[in-house]
Amino acid sequence: MTSDNDRDLIERFKKGDPSAFEAILLRHQDRIYNLCRYMLREPRDAQDAAQDVFVKVYKALKDFRPDSSLYTWMYRIAVSTCLDYRRKSRREAFRSLPLTEDLPSDERSPHQFRESTEIAESIHAALQKLPEKLRAAIVLREIEGLSYEEIAEVLHTSVGTVKSRISRAREQLRLLLKKNHG
Amino acid sequence: MRCGRARKMISQHLDGELGLAESKAFDTHIQGCPSCRQALEETRAFQQMFASAQRFPAPYGFATRVLANLEEKEGSRLRSLLSVRPFLLRAAQAAFAVVVMTLGIISGNLLLAERTVHIEPAAVQEVFSLDLFQAAPPDSVGGIYMRLAGVADEK
Repeated sequence: MTSDNDRDLIERFKKGDPSAFEAILLRHQDRIYNLCRYMLREPRDAQDAAQDVFVKVYKALKDFRPDSSLYTWMYRIAVSTCLDYRRKSRREAFRSLPLTEDLPSDERSPHQFRESTEIAESIHAALQKLPEKLRAAIVLREIEGLSYEEIAEVLHTSVGTVKSRISRAREQLRLLLKKNHG
Repeated sequence: MRCGRARKMISQHLDGELGLAESKAFDTHIQGCPSCRQALEETRAFQQMFASAQRFPAPYGFATRVLANLEEKEGSRLRSLLSVRPFLLRAAQAAFAVVVMTLGIISGNLLLAERTVHIEPAAVQEVFSLDLFQAAPPDSVGGIYMRLAGVADEK
C-alpha cells in the first residue's frame, strides 16, 4: 500500500503540480540508485539505468493506482530496467555533470567505510556470477530488505518462487564466497 | 531429515519463515550434522556481509540530471518545473523596464506640453540672418530662404 506521503504526491502530480514529481524523485532516488548499483555493479551503468527508471516512472505515474505500494512498483521498473540494460549491454549517453560517486551513505569512520566498500566489492563480484533472476531476488532481500511478499510483487511471481530463488541464490553465493575467501 | 532438505531450509530458517514443526526438525538435524551446521554458519556470515555492505546514495546532481533528461524527452510539462520561475522573473524584469520607459516618455511629453515655447519671428530672422558675415545673394540658398521667410534685405 502506498504511504500517505506518496499518495499525496501522486495526487498532486496527477493534478498537474510539477513539483510533486521532483519530490517523489528526491524521496526515492537513493533506494533506486542503490538497487541499480548492486544489480549492475558499474557506477556509470547504475546511474544511467536509474535515470531510465525515473523517466519510465514519470511517464507511467499518471496511470499508477495507489492500491499497491509506490516503491515496490518503482522497484519493479528498476529490476526490469537493469535486466534489460544488461541484456542490451549498451550505454546510452546522457549529458552528465561531473560525478561525485559512491560517497558513504552514513557517517562511518574511514576505516569502516573502506571495509564496507571492500565488502561491497566482494558482493558485487559474486552477484555478477548469479543468474539474473536469482540476483534480483537476493538483492531485493538482502540489500533492500524487502519481505518475500514484496519481492513477489516486484518480480511478478509467487511467494513460493521467491523463497526458492532466495534459497538458491544464498547457496550459490555461499559457495562462491567460500571459494574466493578460502 | 536428509541433508538436501535441510540445506533448502537454511534460507527460510534465517528469515524466520519456518513453521514450528519444520523449525524443530531443522534444529534437530543441524545439531547432529556438522556439515549442514557449517553451511548454516557460512550463510549467516555472508548475510551479515550484506548487512554491513556499503549503501550507495544517488550521486550528487542525480535528480537535476533526471529532470534535465526528462525535459529533453518530455518537454512542456517538465519545462515549467525547471524554468517557469526564472522565465517569469526575466519576463517581469523586462515588463518593468518597459513600464519605466513608457512612463518616462509620457511624463516627459506632459512636461514639455505645459512649457509652450513662443518664438518671436524677429528672433528667427536674427538667428538665420547671414548679416554677421555678408548679405545673402538673391540666388544663393540663403537668399532663397530669406525670401521664403519673408525677410526683406535691409541692405
